[in-house]
Amino acid sequence: MAVPKSPAGVTPRRPVLSVSARKIKDNAADWHNLMMKWETLNDNGFATANKIVNVKIATQFKDNNLEIECDSIASDSGKQLPDYNEELEQCCTQLLETLENMSKIQMKMEKLSTTTKGICDLETYNYREGASRPPLFHTWPTTYFYEVSLKLSEMYKKELQLKQVIVQEIAHTVDQDLMMVYLSAWLYQPYIENSNKLLLESMLLETGHRLL
Amino acid sequence: MLTAFMPLFSSLANLAEQMQSCQKVTFASTPLRDFPELAEQLKHKQRCAAETLLEELMGKMAGLQRVRDTVSSSVGTVFQLYEQHADGLGLEASLQRSAVNPSLADMLEWLQDIESYYRHLYLESRLLLQIRYENLPEMQALPQAWERMLEHNRQDVVQDALLKVSFFLEAP
Repeated sequence: MAVPKSPAGVTPRRPVLSVSARKIKDNAADWHNLMMKWETLNDNGFATANKIVNVKIATQFKDNNLEIECDSIASDSGKQLPDYNEELEQCCTQLLETLENMSKIQMKMEKLSTTTKGICDLETYNYREGASRPPLFHTWPTTYFYEVSLKLSEMYKKELQLKQVIVQEIAHTVDQDLMMVYLSAWLYQPYIENSNKLLLESMLLETGHRLL
Repeated sequence: MLTAFMPLFSSLANLAEQMQSCQKVTFASTPLRDFPELAEQLKHKQRCAAETLLEELMGKMAGLQRVRDTVSSSVGTVFQLYEQHADGLGLEASLQRSAVNPSLADMLEWLQDIESYYRHLYLESRLLLQIRYENLPEMQALPQAWERMLEHNRQDVVQDALLKVSFFLEAP
């Protein structure tokens, strides 16, 4: 357990946070970092997905041309196709890696919710006599942190599921409109509501990471 | 200032393309069928993105409007000044030009050309931004429409006038 490192004799200006409060404060910072990382991964993933779609469209275009040209030339040009596929494969592997990293982040997010739930349960236990529970920081009851964590966690969970399908399917469709839908859905993350930033910021504000 | 519009129009056109693809795709018959309300949610997000772009464009438009107003008021002041002295000056003198000096009428005409250039530019850009989400093809054609509009309202008018003025100013 961390021991306050301030030298003896110096009185801390603020009251030392309780263990629960410190944990929740750390969690809030973790939320911030994880969400930032997620955004970066989302951008990288989008760039890769975009490449995949471009390669696919180029290959399709080539295939169509081949059909128009005579078959004898087709056998020659056919040799170039593996190049395309190699690039496609590279991109797919890259996208899979990105997804893998995103799913790790999502797991960490879920863990944050679980810890917060634990803190709430502990508090319920400590105050089982019906004593009034003082808020850990300014105004939020502790359960509110759990509600926010859970809400955020659910958003990212759903979004991850969507991304899993996109990664599975994006390189296997020939429908250009559908490719576009996959790209758009990857970029705009429909299940992550715009309120996520607000939830995060209010959590940071309440825990004192952000100052008014 | 005008160059700042193009990337925004391109993004908007790109977004319109995405929206149109979403309309064409029947989600229920794709691997996305298991995601409830996906089409709606995605549409919502796309609209939000479009609104943000439009807001940025409106900000640029406000800049354009300021240019138009400033030019208009300056030109207005010059014309007012001319009208005050027009009678004393006489038509003859206003029209007189020489090898080293343009006539007053010439210069007033240049000013008027410049003013009408900015007025048209603003008006036509404003019309371009009357976007309806029901007309996605039109939204997709925005970059081309913008370029056509710029071509049609050639900025040379302003540059030419400035060149002429600087030429005469330099003349001994």
